[in-house]
Amino acid sequence: MQLLAQVAASGVLLGGLYALMALGLALVWGVLNIVNLSHGALIMIGAYTTYYLFTIAHIDPFLALPITAIVLFVIGYIIERGVLNYVIRGPMFNTLLITFGIEVILTYLAQFWFSADFRTINPGYAGANFPLGGIVIPTVQVVVFAIAIGLTIAMWLFLLHSRIGRGIRASAQNLVAARLYGVDPKRIYALTFGIGSALAGVTGGLYGTVSQINPYIGGPLTAKSFAIAIIGGLDNPLGVIVGGLVLGLVESLTALYFGSTYRDVASFGVLLLVLILRPSGLLGRTT
Amino acid sequence: MSRFAVFLAALTFTAAAYAQTITFGASVQLTGPVANTGRYYKDAYEFAIDKINAAGGVKVGSSQQKIALRLLDNQSDVNLSVRQYTQLLSQDKVNFLLGPFASNFVLADSSIAEKAEVPMVQGGGASDEIYARGYKYTFGTLPAASDYFGSTIDAMAKLNPAPKTVALLYADDSFDVSVAKGTRELLKKAGMQAVIDERYSTNASDFSVLLSRIKSQNADAVLVAGHETEVLNFVRQAKSLGVNPKLYSFTVGVPSADFRRALGKDANGACGMTAWLPSPSLADQWFGDAEKFATAYKAKYGYDPDYHAAAGVAAVEALVNAIEAAGSLDHGKVRDALAKSSFESLYGRIAFNEKGQISLPQIMIQIQNDKVVPIYAGKGFENKLEYPLKPWGQR
Repeated sequence: MQLLAQVAASGVLLGGLYALMALGLALVWGVLNIVNLSHGALIMIGAYTTYYLFTIAHIDPFLALPITAIVLFVIGYIIERGVLNYVIRGPMFNTLLITFGIEVILTYLAQFWFSADFRTINPGYAGANFPLGGIVIPTVQVVVFAIAIGLTIAMWLFLLHSRIGRGIRASAQNLVAARLYGVDPKRIYALTFGIGSALAGVTGGLYGTVSQINPYIGGPLTAKSFAIAIIGGLDNPLGVIVGGLVLGLVESLTALYFGSTYRDVASFGVLLLVLILRPSGLLGRTT
Repeated sequence: MSRFAVFLAALTFTAAAYAQTITFGASVQLTGPVANTGRYYKDAYEFAIDKINAAGGVKVGSSQQKIALRLLDNQSDVNLSVRQYTQLLSQDKVNFLLGPFASNFVLADSSIAEKAEVPMVQGGGASDEIYARGYKYTFGTLPAASDYFGSTIDAMAKLNPAPKTVALLYADDSFDVSVAKGTRELLKKAGMQAVIDERYSTNASDFSVLLSRIKSQNADAVLVAGHETEVLNFVRQAKSLGVNPKLYSFTVGVPSADFRRALGKDANGACGMTAWLPSPSLADQWFGDAEKFATAYKAKYGYDPDYHAAAGVAAVEALVNAIEAAGSLDHGKVRDALAKSSFESLYGRIAFNEKGQISLPQIMIQIQNDKVVPIYAGKGFENKLEYPLKPWGQR
């Protein structure tokens, strides 16, 4: 029983990180209709940014997250304005191709600049934990979970209530009408992509504290974010919380009852089920 | 007429100059997810070949020839490495082959060498599967995967109190499956019970479930056969989940400097194994001894060599030694000379069994105070093992 509780707790905490991972991808996909295949590479760049802020400037990783967010926002803004904007109205295949190209470029630039050596963001408190009713809760993972949920809810409120947020939603729903209301699509698109990249960057910084960093972590993370975004549904930003938690729990419980090699089978199995039974995602509208 | 003679002489001279070089070809992971370890092989091959060339090169019959290295980057992609070895043989027409890193790569690439009947000496694959196919042209300087935990389990049996329950975790690739197969037998023979014997997917980043099970089963010792990324995650998550086995040992990472650096103080206490330590007692024809080699290597490349680099150098030396013994570049003659190899090098005694694999004991090591300390090599405890490990919170 205690083992089940521990595994369930681990699954929930993992789900929080998963949610944040997918948030940037879901935002960009839902609004710009761009499936950003370089999402994982942006997470990787965010991880390295936080790593170097920690090791060279000695800034605590959690305090370095806002700086990482700004750096990645700028990078994302430039990528969208300078590259993606030219293909955004074209066939989807072009954006897939270009974002894939960006992923390759970012990955191999990272290999070139940072080498393939593993890095970890290892502040003194990295292994801390506290007991809770018989199970052990890793402190850092709880903070990651809180930041992830907090940012997701903040994003939801931002999209719902702020002027820019309404502009973003308007552009996604009906671009012509939005332009009639004075929304500048170039600015809105770049802003949205910048926010998505900033979220990826924050994920990277957090990922580096619980796992390890190397130039090649991007690919699998993009695939996972993709699955979570679909499972949760793209219409509602809170969908990634549902998607992340579902996936985190399913993976952990599968590993406990069926064996660790079945984790990926289970997570992509859930993806398949969602696509068959509820294609717009668990929180998506069924129209 | 005289101009033609000069032209002819120049042509012959150039042709002769070309004939003076032996080319070794290799496809190594210089980029991609395992580039971290692949670079040991690039640096080792280049270092060894430069040293041998500086000492005069290779004596082939009555002439001295230099070695050239044709190295390709397979981007950590097995399929690309197969195509590159095919290219090295058919297009670049190299004389002999050196291997890539990782057993699953060697498994695929050695088939190319076997089909073309060109000797390949590799220091990157230890899996028993490589040598179970009856290949004649593949030789390896890494000892058998199934025996990787041999000296560790020997040492464990001699501890007081000896660990009784063991958790065995392994990734799902050729090398680690081979290690697990052999380790199961060794554990049975030693009378230890494997309370957890579980395979996990390569590149797994979340070990919390396995760690929770280890904790609930109260396993005395944990043996993990996996990749450096996985072992890194395993150690960090063991700390954050408060899982405290009395001993844990990994097939990778512990001998490598950047692994220890990534974990910092959390690396202390971790056990591993290596077939090679830079000891001055390992004399070498070109480098003096293993200790001098390690110092020179670090001075040139900026990082300490581990057994991957030494195995790479051993592969080059084995080929050179075989060419000199055969007195020719004929593939069949060199292959036979390789099979009969027997010489001392900075890597130890180079000799291959009838299947083509070297036989060297693994030395059990432990990280103590950020340094790699040899613990047990089959005879007695060379240094004291830190056992049982203090719980994470008390270190």
